[in-house]
Amino acid sequence: MVPLLKVSNLVKRFGGIVAVNDVSFEIYKGETLGFIGPNGAGKSTVVNCLTGYLPATAGKVEMNGVDISHMKPHERTHMGLARTYQIPRPFPELTALTSVLASSISGKKRINQSFQDAMYDATHYLEFVGLFSKRNILARDLTFYELRMLELARALATTPQLIFIDEVMAGLNPGEAKSAVHMIRRAKEEFGITVFWIEHVMAVLMEAADRIVAINYGAKLAEGTPEEVVNNDEVVEAYLGRGWREYA
Amino acid sequence: MVEMELKRDRIVIRLGTKKWEWVLEPRYWRNTLIWVVVLFLFPTVSYFVSPGLINTMISANIYAAIAMPLALLTIGTGRMNFGPQFYIGVGGYTAALLSIAYGWGPLLTLPFAILMCIVAALIFSPLVLMARGLYYVLLTLLLPLVFLEVTFIYPDIFKGDTGLFGIVPLLDTGNAKNNFLFIGYLSTVIMFAYLWIINKVLKSRYGLLMAAINDDEDVAHSIGINISKIKIIAFVSACTMIGIIGWFYAHYFSSFAGITYLPLTFMLKILLVLMIGGRAQVFGCVLGGYFIAFLEMLMIRFMGPIQPVLFPIILLVLLFVLPEGLFGLYRKRRYREYLPTIHVRR
Amino acid sequence: MLTYVENVVVYTFLMGSIYLLIALGFSLICGVLRIFHLGYAYIFPLTVYGTWMLMTTLDWPLIPSILGMVVIQFIVAALIYKGMIKKYLNTEDVLLTALLLIALIVEQAANYFYPIQAGVFLDTTLMSGVFQLGGVVVPKQLVVGSGIALAMTGAFVIFFVKTKTGMAIRALSQDIYSSKIVGINVETLYVFTMMIVLVPVIIGTLIVAPVWALEPQMGWLYMVTAILIAVLGGLGNIKGTIMASYLIGLAHAVSCFVISEPRFMNLSALIVVMIFLIIRPQGLARSESLW
Repeated sequence: MVPLLKVSNLVKRFGGIVAVNDVSFEIYKGETLGFIGPNGAGKSTVVNCLTGYLPATAGKVEMNGVDISHMKPHERTHMGLARTYQIPRPFPELTALTSVLASSISGKKRINQSFQDAMYDATHYLEFVGLFSKRNILARDLTFYELRMLELARALATTPQLIFIDEVMAGLNPGEAKSAVHMIRRAKEEFGITVFWIEHVMAVLMEAADRIVAINYGAKLAEGTPEEVVNNDEVVEAYLGRGWREYA
Repeated sequence: MVEMELKRDRIVIRLGTKKWEWVLEPRYWRNTLIWVVVLFLFPTVSYFVSPGLINTMISANIYAAIAMPLALLTIGTGRMNFGPQFYIGVGGYTAALLSIAYGWGPLLTLPFAILMCIVAALIFSPLVLMARGLYYVLLTLLLPLVFLEVTFIYPDIFKGDTGLFGIVPLLDTGNAKNNFLFIGYLSTVIMFAYLWIINKVLKSRYGLLMAAINDDEDVAHSIGINISKIKIIAFVSACTMIGIIGWFYAHYFSSFAGITYLPLTFMLKILLVLMIGGRAQVFGCVLGGYFIAFLEMLMIRFMGPIQPVLFPIILLVLLFVLPEGLFGLYRKRRYREYLPTIHVRR
Repeated sequence: MLTYVENVVVYTFLMGSIYLLIALGFSLICGVLRIFHLGYAYIFPLTVYGTWMLMTTLDWPLIPSILGMVVIQFIVAALIYKGMIKKYLNTEDVLLTALLLIALIVEQAANYFYPIQAGVFLDTTLMSGVFQLGGVVVPKQLVVGSGIALAMTGAFVIFFVKTKTGMAIRALSQDIYSSKIVGINVETLYVFTMMIVLVPVIIGTLIVAPVWALEPQMGWLYMVTAILIAVLGGLGNIKGTIMASYLIGLAHAVSCFVISEPRFMNLSALIVVMIFLIIRPQGLARSESLW
């Protein structure tokens, strides 16, 4: 089975610092892949390299067998990658509707879609995440949870095959967190997309992820089902420190 | 195959796999129609009352017609361009040199002026993509000054000191007053054409993509917008529109001298049309153009030689007093309306 | 052949030093206030015509006129800061237009009151005559001017490196918020910077006043050179500005003496700057700080 995304030997150097050190994994269509690691492990750098925001120093990225390592970000979006940001980055001067509208127009090459048709499309995505009543509010006036939902709607409006979700739980209270997880699951079922989920909150990933990849200092530590990875010695050592058994 | 359908309140145009819809909203047409009628009646009225006013009106239309592509340029590329008059020089000198050398009339020189502007804009378009912030300001500021120096360095071709004379005029009906009238209508037509085109572009999907690019370029890149293509197309089309005005100047005055248009004083006037009319609002450019042209004319007539000193002072005061420009007096900006944040320093 | 090289070397040194005075102000304002002071051109005509006005209308002798003009310049700089820059720091397009307008107003006022036929002349010659340096003829005024320029630049460098205020300004140029947190008075230092950069520019203008032409439009030419030097050297970096002014001096000297086309001076400088920007877009200086 051809993997949806295949990352081979990805390396990213910033001057002398090796942020991503020979990371390889595969994602298959329809699964939820979790991505964990302590702070500063290089998770966001991996996502930046995969979406084209940063050029990788070495390594190959293939999507459905097509080599996308040298494609610009907008070409990768046309191939089917989308992302949300750890700290939400809305378009500050645009309303919620027009933000998703921009995404809907330019996400893929659309046929027979006029500006008004794209507006109906954008309204559909806004209503899916529950922001329809806020559609004419400027993006910088929305609350934090609504900003995260707007990010999700904006990513979904590009009709991706694979969506990179970067720490969606950070800054949400438990009620909002539950809604967010529920929203992502609904998106996965309704639109049939594959999810690559970077997260710190382990409880969420234990439930939602099919497989988990763990990295530390830019190198892959472990890969497998959630139970396997959580009980892996190296992963626990990365989070708790080397001598954790003495204090356990 | 272009298909057009006429539904109840919209016109749908299909070309291949692309589809455009134009929603007709008659309730917004009243004010626009009033202005169009007023501006079209004005030359005829002043033909009988005081033909010199037509001259001022032509200046006003042309100032507006230079400021509107500058607004498109600013919004499209996300940066302030301080040297649009470089393309007036390109268009004007092409038209002038071709007309003097081969005796071509205005209709023949127009395609060549457009072609030279497209070539010049394409040559300088990497500047838009590569140069960041202040370097872009610098290089656009200096280009017209360098062009001016070139016209002085090669005086046999460009006649930098005296300017080029003897260009075939735009219209010749034999009667000078009738000439003014027809050229006045031509300038009004050009101004309205630019207004319609640029307004439609800025309100369409391309205007939205330009707004997204201005707000956050990296995010715009990641939702699939091809930034280079949009910036270069905006740059080239805006510069070509400005170049056509250079062609107009050359044939209208039958002479063209770089020293009139290329230095900073002319650029400041156009920039002020943009700023005072309403920062980067397309309708504001028309208001600004008329205001500045008539103010200049009144000041020259009533104040004489002190005009070059007082004119900038008045404009400076207006710049401070009117935060939204003249168009802001007519209509306050609504909450959801987009006002571009133009980055100069980044 | 040897005269070419001698001419080029000597005039590179002379012109580069004078340009250093003029460009240092622009570079420092860019580096500290982080704005592109497009109205910089107003300083030059204001120096010349302000002194002339004090000399002719109030009948003051030369030195008090110069001091009076310096006071006027300080007041104008403080007014520009408080009235325009502080208000419009966030809407940069309005700010740049307003600054350009100031330069235009000063130029037009100078043109109105003292047009080029009025015969404005400032006798600020420190040493008259020329002297022979090998095969090269140099005006003594320019040699003295270069000496003063180098001394002034040295004073500035010592100020920024050794004194407390200098260090505060250097901190300010790197991060405003951190400077405010550690207690640096940002407003006062901004006004102080705007005033202190006037000093080398005024001295430079007064030195070249008897040697080079005086006209109301002189500001734009010097500003263009100052902009080119500042951008080439990396905006706001003193080391870079020093290197860049000698490079631009070299370009001007070469186009004057080797190519023998003085009209090419500005064009050659622009070509040099553009080539450098393609190779190294940040300019010559390696760091982002003032020194």
